[in-house]
Amino acid sequence: MKISRFSGNRQRGPKLSKKSLIQPLARWHPGTRQLVNWLVMFGSVLLCLLMLPTRFPGMELLGIGPNWLLIWVVSWSVKRSVFAGIIAGIILGLLQDGMTSPDPTHAISLGIVGGLTGLIQKQRFIQEDFISIALIVFGMAVLSETIFGLQLVLMGDYSGESVWAYYQRVALASAILNSLWAPVVYYPLNHWWQKIKLLEQF
Amino acid sequence: MFTVRRWWDRKGWQSVLLMVVIAGAWMLRQTQGALLLELYQTIASPFKMLQPGISIEEPIRDARLLELQTRVADLESQNQKLKNLLGYVKEESPSSHLIPARVVGRSADHWWQQVTLDRGTNAGIQEGFTVKADGGLVGLIESVTPNTSRVLLISDLKSLVGVTVSRTSAKGVLRGDSSSEAVLEFYEKVPNVKIGDLVATSTYSQKFPSGWAVGKVISLDLKRAPSPVARVELFPPIRSLDWVTVYPKTGNGD
Repeated sequence: MKISRFSGNRQRGPKLSKKSLIQPLARWHPGTRQLVNWLVMFGSVLLCLLMLPTRFPGMELLGIGPNWLLIWVVSWSVKRSVFAGIIAGIILGLLQDGMTSPDPTHAISLGIVGGLTGLIQKQRFIQEDFISIALIVFGMAVLSETIFGLQLVLMGDYSGESVWAYYQRVALASAILNSLWAPVVYYPLNHWWQKIKLLEQF
Repeated sequence: MFTVRRWWDRKGWQSVLLMVVIAGAWMLRQTQGALLLELYQTIASPFKMLQPGISIEEPIRDARLLELQTRVADLESQNQKLKNLLGYVKEESPSSHLIPARVVGRSADHWWQQVTLDRGTNAGIQEGFTVKADGGLVGLIESVTPNTSRVLLISDLKSLVGVTVSRTSAKGVLRGDSSSEAVLEFYEKVPNVKIGDLVATSTYSQKFPSGWAVGKVISLDLKRAPSPVARVELFPPIRSLDWVTVYPKTGNGD
């Protein structure tokens, strides 16, 4: 709301901005800025996708790595609408299907995660950033594992017993790992999106 | 009016872009991420040199020994049978054209046990080829792109391997458990098996060549309701695979 004082004059933007990076950004053509915004979005998703099959040292817990796409979906939808969250979740779910077995699809679990994260309305109720993000990711990781496990059981090809045994082993490890790595994705993306949002209000 | 048009311009563009993105994501899903895997392979190839080679000699040699032990036990029992059926000669297809490959990626999801190899159709790999590492059977090629291939490991929940206990020829199905152990479900009600028995692929198996080492029985539950089960420790180091060998499909269906 502080921004409204500046009354849409882009010429004055550079003087008023606190952060140094905004200055060159504000001088950019809005179209260019939009393009760079899309590039950042695609680039970060692509990076997350390519990180999925890698296991850098220290990134592994009980043989599983962080689910980067889940972290991305949470980072995306935490300050956006429910609809945007669901759409992003479905798209990234389809992409994850491409990287691993497509049946059952990941689009359902990630779509629900995106929608619910959008529903939380964090910016309205929770001011603090890092720990709340880690907590949201923790909860969402457990949720997505649960949904995926249920999908597996409902498909009928897998015995509920073995899925349940694996679920117990993996859900907590995955939640801890994802919430620990969440800031790595969330911080730079959030930084960028905040800046874009700030500039679009001019 | 102007604002309405501007709004429409922006939203219209956005929805068109959204459609394009969704269509792209769907296409990647249908092609099993072929494009992404190729990209991943291109990026990963310079880094492969940085990876340490096989550093832990001891477990490898150990696994090798266990593999040979299984082979010997299997051959012995087979030999016995052949003596009984005097004159029976089984034609073995010459195991030529092996393709060595290196693991460049792990599974992109916790639920599936897959690895990505750095060789694909350009090296002659096709779907359904079998993959072996030091220690024995590792998995089956699930999908191939020009320069990568994805392997479904035998530790995956959906993997099923027809196996036999080498000492007694008790047959069963080996089901993955997403760990370095697997579950062996026997066909017989009272299988002749004890802890420590070695397990190899069965001659009944349609997908895998017979007589490949798989693992060792570490615990038994013979009173299990539908069928008796055993837990089998897998010989190949599923968690830390590096070099593997890809074998062409063999007609084991006879």
